[in-house]
Amino acid sequence: LCYFSSCSSWLPQSVPLRGSHWQSSLLEFRTSLPVRAQPKKKKKVDVKKEQAQRERMKKRLKKLEKAAPELIPIEDFITPLKYTESNRVRSLPALSPEESERRVLLLKKWCLFKQKQDEAEKKAINALVESQQEALKELRLESEELYQAAVRRDEGLFPFERDGPTYTPPLPGYDPPEGKCVDITKVYTQ
Amino acid sequence: DALLGCHRSYRSRPTHGIGRFQHLLPKEVPKRKKEKVQMKEISEGTEYQYGDLNIQMTSYDLCLVEHFAQYVHRLCNRLSIRVNESYAMPTKTNEVLFLEERGSKMQLDAVLTTHQRVVQIRGLSSTFAPILLEIIQSSQPEGVHLLMKQHTEADFKSRLKSRPELEELLAEMS
Repeated sequence: LCYFSSCSSWLPQSVPLRGSHWQSSLLEFRTSLPVRAQPKKKKKVDVKKEQAQRERMKKRLKKLEKAAPELIPIEDFITPLKYTESNRVRSLPALSPEESERRVLLLKKWCLFKQKQDEAEKKAINALVESQQEALKELRLESEELYQAAVRRDEGLFPFERDGPTYTPPLPGYDPPEGKCVDITKVYTQ
Repeated sequence: DALLGCHRSYRSRPTHGIGRFQHLLPKEVPKRKKEKVQMKEISEGTEYQYGDLNIQMTSYDLCLVEHFAQYVHRLCNRLSIRVNESYAMPTKTNEVLFLEERGSKMQLDAVLTTHQRVVQIRGLSSTFAPILLEIIQSSQPEGVHLLMKQHTEADFKSRLKSRPELEELLAEMS
């Protein structure tokens, strides 16, 4: 017994001592070994509560997962209510026969123009395809390897981006006013 | 079971099934349940064919972009390219504010809406792809931005509503 009481005196003091055998690490102050003698009631209720919570969460998750995901409604296709409520009716003026004649002839000219445009496009596509096929035929005669490499799909083609043409070229030396763009799109949540 | 349902079943006799009539009634189409929005399989394509491609057209002008999308769709139909889907992406609204010359207040300049239409095609052959691109580019209207890329799951998911509760629960569970 006397050895335990005087152990602190004959040990070199460089090593920090543990206050009690429950204190687990030598460096930190407040850590202690898991205490085993805990009242049993608390443990059971905790576990049960946790299990019940987990089951409730799983049930909620199942319910939410059952609901199929919905597509975001597109505002373009929904006519705003203010255009359907009013009873305004537009009254068009009566057309003179010359005017209606002029319009019909204009329509016919437009149809012809569009038809020529469409035919030209079809012709262009056919010409492109034909020339491509001829070129591939010639290439095949030249070398089979190059032909195979040419017919394969091009991985670098996509993604392909192109801005549409503009009415006017950009103004040289234009100084735009300072400002910012704020995104106010409505966020839909399910 | 229609034959055995009736009480007069003399199977050996030639008059078996004489009272049958259900097979003569017109077929009733079963009621279609609400179709669940499910992602269709994305094909990868072979070495000589591209898989699912998205032709996305974006612009501030709604009519232009709609008409261009219709034109592209009809073009693909005419060239017998299979069109999987042709849909619209949700519109984005932007408020443009600019700083006044004499003053520190931001003034509202305009409210711009960006519209996007997507035409999804499948099975474009590798030799025909550059020709199609050329045709679409030559008829591209002003202000319409064209983007062609491969279809991915993320593209599909961007069309769906966000579910913050589901995500929260999943984060809590894991």
